[in-house]
Amino acid sequence: MTDSYAVDVEGVSKSFGAFKALNGVNLRVRQGEIYGLLGPNGAGKTTLIRLICGLLAAHAGTVTVLGQRMPNVGVLRHIGYMTQQAALYPALSVEENVSFFAAINGADEGVKDALELVELYDRRASVVATLSGGLRQRCSLACALVHRPELLLLDEPTVGIDPQLRVQFWESFRRMAANGTTIIVSSHVMDEADRCQRLGLIQYGRLLAEGSPADIRAQGGSQNLEEAFLALAGRKES
Amino acid sequence: MSGHRVRAITRRLLQGFRRDRRTLALLFVAPIVILGLLGYLMRGSTSSPSVGIANEDSGPLGVMVADALRHSSRITTTDISAADGDAKLKDGSLVAYIVLPSDFSRQAQSGNVAPEVHLEGSQPGVDAPVLQALQQAMITLASQVAGRNVNFQPQIKYLYGGKSYDTLDYFGAAFVGLVVFFLVFVITIVSFLNERSQGTLERLMASPLRRGEIVLGYMLGFTVIALVQAAEVLIFSLAVLKIQNQGSVLLIFGMEALMAIAAVNLGIFLSMFARSEFQAVQFIPLVVVPQMLLSGIIFPVSTEPKALQYLSDVLPLTYAVNGMRDIMVKGADLTWSSLQLDAGVVAGFCIVLIAAGTATLRRRLG
Repeated sequence: MTDSYAVDVEGVSKSFGAFKALNGVNLRVRQGEIYGLLGPNGAGKTTLIRLICGLLAAHAGTVTVLGQRMPNVGVLRHIGYMTQQAALYPALSVEENVSFFAAINGADEGVKDALELVELYDRRASVVATLSGGLRQRCSLACALVHRPELLLLDEPTVGIDPQLRVQFWESFRRMAANGTTIIVSSHVMDEADRCQRLGLIQYGRLLAEGSPADIRAQGGSQNLEEAFLALAGRKES
Repeated sequence: MSGHRVRAITRRLLQGFRRDRRTLALLFVAPIVILGLLGYLMRGSTSSPSVGIANEDSGPLGVMVADALRHSSRITTTDISAADGDAKLKDGSLVAYIVLPSDFSRQAQSGNVAPEVHLEGSQPGVDAPVLQALQQAMITLASQVAGRNVNFQPQIKYLYGGKSYDTLDYFGAAFVGLVVFFLVFVITIVSFLNERSQGTLERLMASPLRRGEIVLGYMLGFTVIALVQAAEVLIFSLAVLKIQNQGSVLLIFGMEALMAIAAVNLGIFLSMFARSEFQAVQFIPLVVVPQMLLSGIIFPVSTEPKALQYLSDVLPLTYAVNGMRDIMVKGADLTWSSLQLDAGVVAGFCIVLIAAGTATLRRRLG
């Protein structure tokens, strides 16, 4: 049954010098699922995402994505990765940026759809350096999904985005998931967590708890997800 | 004006330096390295040029002049036969040779001597000591030919260059390539670093792009810019500055292109060792200045102290500069073995750097 998991992380540890960024993390994400990685700054969310797309190699454990052991260059064309900062070329226009990422993923035909999805088609000629933070974030998202990846990794995609746009972002995430795209999204904003089908709580490089938002509430003994999270975090620490 | 606020700025700057040990080290180490190198080069250089003497005089006076030349402190001499002279100038083992003709003694007795002086001619500044040494020897000669005024009219022949050849022709040939090399190097190192700091490199790494594709793509992109620049520099040098050129313009352009490719790859490779644009800029004095001093642009490699010659021999720029001069000053074409070597070394250097750039790209993100 392993092939029904889009992402299978088994017993993964990763250290940077003496600092243990991840410590024996197990995590499975089904195809078409929206999985939320929750945790405070520095908990290991970004490290886990980098391991999943093969930017880093684990010291222990295995990462399997779409049936392939990572790191694996062949799988990368099926992964879309939106980095934490809007990593774009400031001297290029919105369309030139999206076209570039389309070209390196061999998906030149997807540019218009991607721009329309993030509602930047009318601003496609704007140079990125002149855009506001929120607009850059949208452009960055377009670059990550222009090649219609099977797995979308989003590292805090809604940071600096107004609430209205955030709702739109999540609507499009849901639509993509319904079409079979697997989405892993990291966040430390709790109201986003509620929109995920399943959540994983990460702290100090460990997966503290996992389950649907309702499960997390039950485990943490609180109707408020934030309180539940803090309760779970505090329990493991002591 | 608030002293407190001014102090805050000053303190902030110094605090930054305290964390950036490398910048600090460079600020204090680089000037010593550069000045030390310059001092060693200027003081330690053997400035006496190698001159061949071919004494064909059947009379007694030729021996005497040759002896006087041998004892001159201005030049270092070896005895050769006149037939080998040009070959020795071409392979660089001599910068000049003097032929005392078979009727030299007879000429002297009749009051008019015309020794042949063959100058290699491409290096400015070495002709003067040769002629001075000969002049000195002639004074010795005149004192031996009693009661006669000896008229001294050397027959000067240039292998390369010639009378109109000046310092700009010598330096210009090297600088045509250098300008392109250094500017392309700086642009590449900074823009590759941008790629890293703005996070797009991480994105590229998470795409199906191979590392070699990134390096090659970069190389081609900057080579396009570099070639346009190279063409501009070349046209300006030849048409406006009127730098002498004996060789094929296409060949010069080819050599410039090789240097540009080397510069792009050097930039990519070194950008792996810098964490910020600030640190990248520091590579300029560290990489550029020693190469300027040691590649034979200003001081010919053959006159450098022996220890520095070994260093010069491993710098790719030495070969590039040599190749440019071979083409422009000496009119070399690709049948010359020296130009084949120069172009080969620069091309080989490009290949090594492409491999090194690709390898370091892997290591940093692994």
